[in-house]
Amino acid sequence: MEGVDSTSDLTMVEAINETLHAEMARDDRVVLLGEDVARNGGVFRVTEGLLEKFGEQRVVDTPISEAAIVGSAVGLAIAGLVPVAEIQFLGFAYQAMHQLAGQVARLRYRTQGRFEPAITIRAPFGGGVRTPELHSDSLEAQLANIPGLKVVLPATPADAKGLLATSIREPDPVLFLEPLRGYRGIRGPVPNGDHLVPLGTARTARSGDDLVIISWSYQVELATRVADSLAPEGLSIAVLDLRTLVPLDVEAITNAVARCGRAVVVQEAAETGGFASEVIATINDECFWSLEAPVARVSGFDVPYPVGMVEHLHVPNEERILAAVRQTLDAG
Amino acid sequence: MAYTFRLPDIGEGLEEAEIIAWLVAPGDTVERDQPLVEVLTDKANSELPSPVAGTVLRLGGVEGDRLRVGEVLIELDDGSTDGADISTEANQSSVTVTDAADNSSSVEKTGPSESVTETTTAVGSTTARVKAAPATRKLARQLDVDIARVSGSGPGGRITHDDVRAAVVPVSAPSHPGEEFSTTEDSPSPIGEPVTTDTTLGQMAHGRHPLRGIRGVVARNMAQSWSDIPHIHTLDEVDATLLMDLRARVRSMDRPGAQAVTPLTLAAAATARALRRYPMVNGCIEGNPADTIVVHSSVNLGIAAATSRGLVVPVIRDADLLDLFALAATISEVADRARAGKLTAADLAGGTFTITNYGALGGRWALPIIPPGQAGILGLGTIADRPLAIDGRVEARPTLPLVLGVDHRLVDGDLAEAFKRSLMDDLAEPLNLLVGS
Amino acid sequence: MARPSDDQLQSILEDMVTARVQARRLWNLQRQGQVGTVAPIDGHEAAIVGAVHALDPEHDWVVPQYREPLALRRYGPEILDSYLLYNLGHPAGGHIPDPIRVLPPQISLGTQIPHAVGIAWGMTLQDEPGIVLVFFGDGSSSEGDFYEAGNLAGVIKAPVVLLCLNNQWAISTPVHLQTAAESFAAKAEAFGMPGILVDGNDAAAVYDAVEEAKARALANRGPTLIEASLYRLGPHTTADDPTRYVPADDLAAALRDDPLELLRTELRDRGLWDDDTHAATEATALARFDEAFEVAKTAPLEPDAVLDHCYSTDTQRLARQRTELLGRSSGGG
Repeated sequence: MEGVDSTSDLTMVEAINETLHAEMARDDRVVLLGEDVARNGGVFRVTEGLLEKFGEQRVVDTPISEAAIVGSAVGLAIAGLVPVAEIQFLGFAYQAMHQLAGQVARLRYRTQGRFEPAITIRAPFGGGVRTPELHSDSLEAQLANIPGLKVVLPATPADAKGLLATSIREPDPVLFLEPLRGYRGIRGPVPNGDHLVPLGTARTARSGDDLVIISWSYQVELATRVADSLAPEGLSIAVLDLRTLVPLDVEAITNAVARCGRAVVVQEAAETGGFASEVIATINDECFWSLEAPVARVSGFDVPYPVGMVEHLHVPNEERILAAVRQTLDAG
Repeated sequence: MAYTFRLPDIGEGLEEAEIIAWLVAPGDTVERDQPLVEVLTDKANSELPSPVAGTVLRLGGVEGDRLRVGEVLIELDDGSTDGADISTEANQSSVTVTDAADNSSSVEKTGPSESVTETTTAVGSTTARVKAAPATRKLARQLDVDIARVSGSGPGGRITHDDVRAAVVPVSAPSHPGEEFSTTEDSPSPIGEPVTTDTTLGQMAHGRHPLRGIRGVVARNMAQSWSDIPHIHTLDEVDATLLMDLRARVRSMDRPGAQAVTPLTLAAAATARALRRYPMVNGCIEGNPADTIVVHSSVNLGIAAATSRGLVVPVIRDADLLDLFALAATISEVADRARAGKLTAADLAGGTFTITNYGALGGRWALPIIPPGQAGILGLGTIADRPLAIDGRVEARPTLPLVLGVDHRLVDGDLAEAFKRSLMDDLAEPLNLLVGS
Repeated sequence: MARPSDDQLQSILEDMVTARVQARRLWNLQRQGQVGTVAPIDGHEAAIVGAVHALDPEHDWVVPQYREPLALRRYGPEILDSYLLYNLGHPAGGHIPDPIRVLPPQISLGTQIPHAVGIAWGMTLQDEPGIVLVFFGDGSSSEGDFYEAGNLAGVIKAPVVLLCLNNQWAISTPVHLQTAAESFAAKAEAFGMPGILVDGNDAAAVYDAVEEAKARALANRGPTLIEASLYRLGPHTTADDPTRYVPADDLAAALRDDPLELLRTELRDRGLWDDDTHAATEATALARFDEAFEVAKTAPLEPDAVLDHCYSTDTQRLARQRTELLGRSSGGG
């Protein structure tokens, strides 16, 4: 039964779709653009129903031009609108990197605040579903290293709603990265009505004292399963869902590691230069003296995201996460 | 006044330029932006225009000369009263930001400062870095243990928390196991004895002195105990008639070691028994924030002793297993060594409960501070005749004032009173010490 | 055909003379080590000024590349003020105050074209009257953004005018090495919009072309690509030596068609301009420049200005970095 304070059980796709409907209804300035977002409702149906509800002026099928999608979003923001652009798969963002890094990220800085780049760029990413090349790539560390952008990755349908609503209302550009595998694979309670999750606040997905697994996006789900599987052994494993990489909830990381003394960071992206490095550097800066053992990383290998038959070897799975947890518990 | 025009970097990273042709000569009048000279750079021939109107005073070189960027190209008299030196910096902004060469200030987060260790010599210093987790190193610092001198029992010789705790030197001792603890002069150690006058007591030159050495260690330990341990104290007096009587009778025994038995010895024996009776008091709270209760298996009594350098607390290990004479002998022996300044770190480590006999200093009542790593302290005042109510009449009896301090995180009032009662019962009737509890 | 009136022609020449004199002064400042790399404007004045005079500053946006700002006088004195700060390397150089409808210079070639399309698109969605004029060079038209943005503009019928200033050279690359197309205007066919080729040395002709394109856009008939053919009479920038690659004869011929001289002669012959007016215009332009430069040179710069305006408010990390920076610059820390 739905009410003001109740929740609905939704998949990730449903939560995002509902939020887009709500935000477009709330603010006339919100405009959606991307490939196949209008008539098709998005290749994953994330933008279903929006064309019918809000019309073809506000929900626009663009040509296949990532650079023009992102670049025109800059112009739309200058003109005072709130563009929500979709990159069909995050790997395609490479076609627009010069607009992302050189223009979107810098519009406010270059013009010293004359323009407010209230731009949201949505894109799915992540593996485990045997996509063609470049459809699963994790770019979040590369994007996090571009000052001026904010990088948001929900792991639950409730957060997808809360973080997306906040992102769209945010005066800074946000890369809103959705978990491909989680679109239909993750279902959960989503608060009805207005629901906002502030950027820069991590979520304790699971409490624990012995070790904390720190992650984001789909890997949070796997981390939680691993933690649950260790409970019968009397092991108390926490899971920290970062939710946003920029801005980073440094305090949450510090508190979790200070409490547990042991940590494992999990990312799908390749090991070298991945965001796990940033998390571990932050732990070094903030709570080094609490560490009982080195912080372990579980990541993809230092190879381009591989093809379907060998993908399962590349993407961190429960087994690899479990091994890292055990190793870290035993160390020191 | 002279207006100095230095060769600018006109080509995005040029180092120098060659003077090809002067277009003016000293004495010429020039207008602003009038071409002065043609120079050759890696990129191109360029004419450099005058920044000011004026008269040419001096050329900075002859044709064919190579000038480096920043060197004087030409000097002009621009008719102003002040001299000017046009910078080669492209940016003429008025605020200069300090050079970031001071990279030490870029480290905002620094860990807790290294513990002040009594570094006497580099004898035996290890060349390889010890292996210990950050948490272990922090614990070592908190407990004033020099981790470099702790042997590790963990994998690969790694130092564990337990290794550090085992090396703990409570209260005011230096943390170098195996090193001699030296004082600069002999001082009477008033363990069980009336204090003799110490002429250095309270003496210090005017001015500011670094807080170091034992004073520094004591200061740190006292402050740590004060802030970490919520003390409660319970005060009482014991009718010491039978205690003094027993002591006199023992001392009259013609047996070696009999003379060493003092009221302190009996108090130590009673304390050891009480600690066995109530093991919780023989424990402590650990963790920051506090998260563990430790109950020790051995009863190691620390007996506080004042020296001219400061307070030291040598430990009598397994005090409950020593008979009265052995206990007295041990206490006496460490007292001698403390007086001689010959206590080792091993003498000072591992205490589980402390007795402080300020009575020997003439004190009656005090509220002593529990040493870090323990949960209780017994303070003994001077035994003196006091009026006591005995069977409804007031009589003068030798009275021993005592104060029990406990860590209220571990010991509540009921336990404190019970412990103290046990102690007092054994002190009031010392024959209890002969009977099993 | 909407030729500029005589008053407009005088105003156009005034702006052209101003632009040239001020650009040369800026060049000298670079040679004197006072500002960074400068792109001279010689040869481009007619096309830029003529185009801008066909616009309505209150409603129409100008999206420049990096050579145009001194010729945008019509949009207000603030353009010069900010451009000088820009050349000094001061952060405020990127701030052109609201409500002036001009974007700051764009160094990344062609990236401004999708921005212009986006602005035009946004204006249409909000039923805001006006168009967007975007400048770019022959070299920039080879960048992907030109094609993506042009294509998108055509599809959504954005009220944008894409104005390619073809000065024949992209640093040292001549146009015949830049494209095999018949002209840059011809590329309009790929976008489904009209492509107009106009003499860039003729301010009135450029004015015409832009006026017509604007009318088309305002009538909701979509964007136009205009190629203004002209010649780069000076080096690409202060860091360039064109004698290495520009044939001397070509340059000599181009100098004979100096657009500024062409218009000056025309107006003088028609009694609309004389030498005194010319001298006075130059003097005023220089005086205005010098005054503005003095102000720009002393513009305040806070020690932590480098950290301002990256986000709407500092992230926690930036706040920490700001504290660090302020600690260092005050000599403490």
